[in-house]
Amino acid sequence: MSQAAPPPILSLAPTRALVDEAFRVRVENLPPGAPVTLRCLHQSEDKDFWEAYGHYVSDATGTVSVADDASLGGTYRGIEATALLWSMRPVPGSRTGLRLRKRDARSPALFTVSVYDGHVGRDFADRRPLAEVLAERWYVAPGVRGVDVRERGVRGTLFIPSGPGPFPGLLDMRAGGGGLPECRSALLASHGYVSLALEYFAPGELASADLEFNYFESAFELVRQHPSVVPDKVGLFGLSLGATAAIYMAAESSVAKPGCCVCIGGGHFYPRGKALSGISQPTNGNVGKLRVDEEQNLIWRDLSLPVSSDLSGKADVRRINCPLLLVNGQDDRNRPTSEDAADMERMMRSVGKRRPLSRPDYPDAGRPSEPPYSPRFRATDFTRDSEKARVTLLWGGRTKAPSDAQEDSWKKILAFLQQHLYSPQYPRARM
Amino acid sequence: MIGNRARVAVYHHLIGKQLTSYVGLHRKLCWLHSAIAVRWRTGSTPAPILTATPARALVDEQISIKAGFLPQHCPVTLCAQMRSEDGDRWEAFGHYNTSADGTVNLAQDHSVGGSYLGCEPMGLFWGLQPAPGERVGLRLRMKNVEIPLTVDISLMEGHVSPRERESAELAVVTTERWFMTPGVQRIDIRQNGVVGTLFLPPGPGRFPAMVDLWGMGGGLVEYRSAMIASRGFASFSIAYMEHKDLTVQLDISGADAYMKPSCLVCINGPAGSNMELTQTLCKPKTSESDQRFWPQDNAGYLSFREMSSPSNYSPGTQVKIENLACPLMYILGEDDQNFPSTKNSNLIEDVLKAARKSHLYTCLSYPGAGHLIETPYTPHTRLSVWELKPRKILALWGGHVAPHAAAQEDSWKKILKFLDKHLRA
Repeated sequence: MSQAAPPPILSLAPTRALVDEAFRVRVENLPPGAPVTLRCLHQSEDKDFWEAYGHYVSDATGTVSVADDASLGGTYRGIEATALLWSMRPVPGSRTGLRLRKRDARSPALFTVSVYDGHVGRDFADRRPLAEVLAERWYVAPGVRGVDVRERGVRGTLFIPSGPGPFPGLLDMRAGGGGLPECRSALLASHGYVSLALEYFAPGELASADLEFNYFESAFELVRQHPSVVPDKVGLFGLSLGATAAIYMAAESSVAKPGCCVCIGGGHFYPRGKALSGISQPTNGNVGKLRVDEEQNLIWRDLSLPVSSDLSGKADVRRINCPLLLVNGQDDRNRPTSEDAADMERMMRSVGKRRPLSRPDYPDAGRPSEPPYSPRFRATDFTRDSEKARVTLLWGGRTKAPSDAQEDSWKKILAFLQQHLYSPQYPRARM
Repeated sequence: MIGNRARVAVYHHLIGKQLTSYVGLHRKLCWLHSAIAVRWRTGSTPAPILTATPARALVDEQISIKAGFLPQHCPVTLCAQMRSEDGDRWEAFGHYNTSADGTVNLAQDHSVGGSYLGCEPMGLFWGLQPAPGERVGLRLRMKNVEIPLTVDISLMEGHVSPRERESAELAVVTTERWFMTPGVQRIDIRQNGVVGTLFLPPGPGRFPAMVDLWGMGGGLVEYRSAMIASRGFASFSIAYMEHKDLTVQLDISGADAYMKPSCLVCINGPAGSNMELTQTLCKPKTSESDQRFWPQDNAGYLSFREMSSPSNYSPGTQVKIENLACPLMYILGEDDQNFPSTKNSNLIEDVLKAARKSHLYTCLSYPGAGHLIETPYTPHTRLSVWELKPRKILALWGGHVAPHAAAQEDSWKKILKFLDKHLRA
């Protein structure tokens, strides 16, 4: 493209959005049939650079519309409206085993979308883009408040929507990776739920499995008793280890009566008396079942197979009385979640449970653990406490299928929560 | 709460009596059940859901406001409230009735009362007016354009006024209205006597550009330039009168020798005057001794109607319109009470016709719109304070709320298309 040509017009909307809202990208004022590259660049809180890009050719009117046109190459192919977000990966030369996570849920993530002349695949830094726009993506809607919680031994952050309320509540229990990712609770509050992002105890901090269980029950009570929360509309939301804890609570707690339960990538294995932190780790007994993939990444999946019928090794899901949504990917290489879920379904049916147990299963996907449009990365670093060694775990799924799974499962999750926690409360009047 | 007691009293009064209006009674009853249930706070029912998408938007963007999980066919009020930078309260409201599925959707439903009527998705924004009890003659002018206007949208039970927000409020959603898109740069310019602010869109450029000139209110007004830059044009807003950093007296004679614009947009302005405007009124600063005598009409309002009427132009003050060399778009509010905009537009059109340059002229004429045609979805000002000292003068700008809002929305789209056409070709 010559210097004299007028610069193309790159537009993106909305420029400030929640992370689960899509965005539309268009380029106009190009010459017809012009090859261009659209690139999305983001610098994480850890200062790593992530990028996604697609190769396009403008149409007869000199326009490229990402929602309508096919990418011919890059980090994604085909007509993919939001692939500039979900196909992001660390730029060449980055450290390995990275995962894109935001610790500060209250500030936006910034993305720079640029259009380059020609089909570019590398050395973007050496090239001058034709045009550029910036987008902010937020976990919190304006007015959502985050409050630190240090009460009755419970630790976490409570996110509260704006307005007089009252609201349904959620206890958000994340994975066993430790730390306090607040993002999902912040996003759930933006959708109208008082959500507690629960900080976990450190391994070994609590002396017994019973004490660990009490911790979760106290956390649930804390949400239930909050002045802005409707006491009988408090749900459980668990990911991985958190999902296991949620299932166990829904089944066996005499204190916590959840309005509904969402479990992502978790099973009902809960060897009684054993610490929660121990159940996901390989033991001496099954360490022989550890596998590695072609890149020396660990696969933990087979540790829990075959699914045992022995009740002492799992939560008695026959006692669950609330609606349950299990979200799994069939290619989850970390836990045999599909087999677990099938076993749960058998157990519940055996006692004629009529409460819905929804089980969207996503072939070719690992667990859809992040809100939609987040980059899906196959292998990430994970600290195993017993050895203090950093190992790289394989989560499963290629880029495209898991992103569809994330988008679809998040919609289903929001619909499920709304159906069971915001159910119509007014009788339909008869005229 | 008074509202509750009144409703309970109505209920008792109606028991055993002939029902005069079945629909009216149903409406009262549907809220009686819920009012008591909601207020009782056993907490057995979550509040209805109110959403605004996108919650963070540019000032010229439409947003979608919806409410759900409400009783069906019930009266509700949607209300917008905002505090200006000076701390004044502005508000707007619309009265709606929920549909059969217990929802309200401002993109489809009709307001039956309040600040606006009919289907108006953005009525809560352009309908904003100073709240009762606020100072008279307010005008919303954002000084810090790098932060948003925060507008709280509330959902209230019944057809009420915003005053009853505390007792009747069911849900709130906070929206942010931004003048700048992320990445737009704001640059202070104080150079060679020029005082202004330059706004650049994000990216390497180069950008089509415009110079943004405001009226005799003076100062340095930035919000339109910030918006234009958010739409991809570099925009330079300059001050030419009444600014602390100005040292140079405006002199427009001879300007045409070096200014060759690619196009012009004029909003409600004169093509001449009955005095040397620039020397008499457009002074860089006012000093103690320097008193300006603003023209006023018989009612005491600031008025340029006499001064700027083409029949009164002093020789030499009329712009040489026949020398126009680029497209001109003239935006005209037919209810402009301050300037004789229609007469000026007619003059320009006549002169261009005589010079065989009619093809350069576009006039957008808006019935019911006043003088201050600005960015869309911003409040309409019919009357504001022009000067407080040495004496208070009010300016009557004209226009009526709904047609003025329509004019702002339509003209903005057309301005952007016009700039696109003539600056990007």
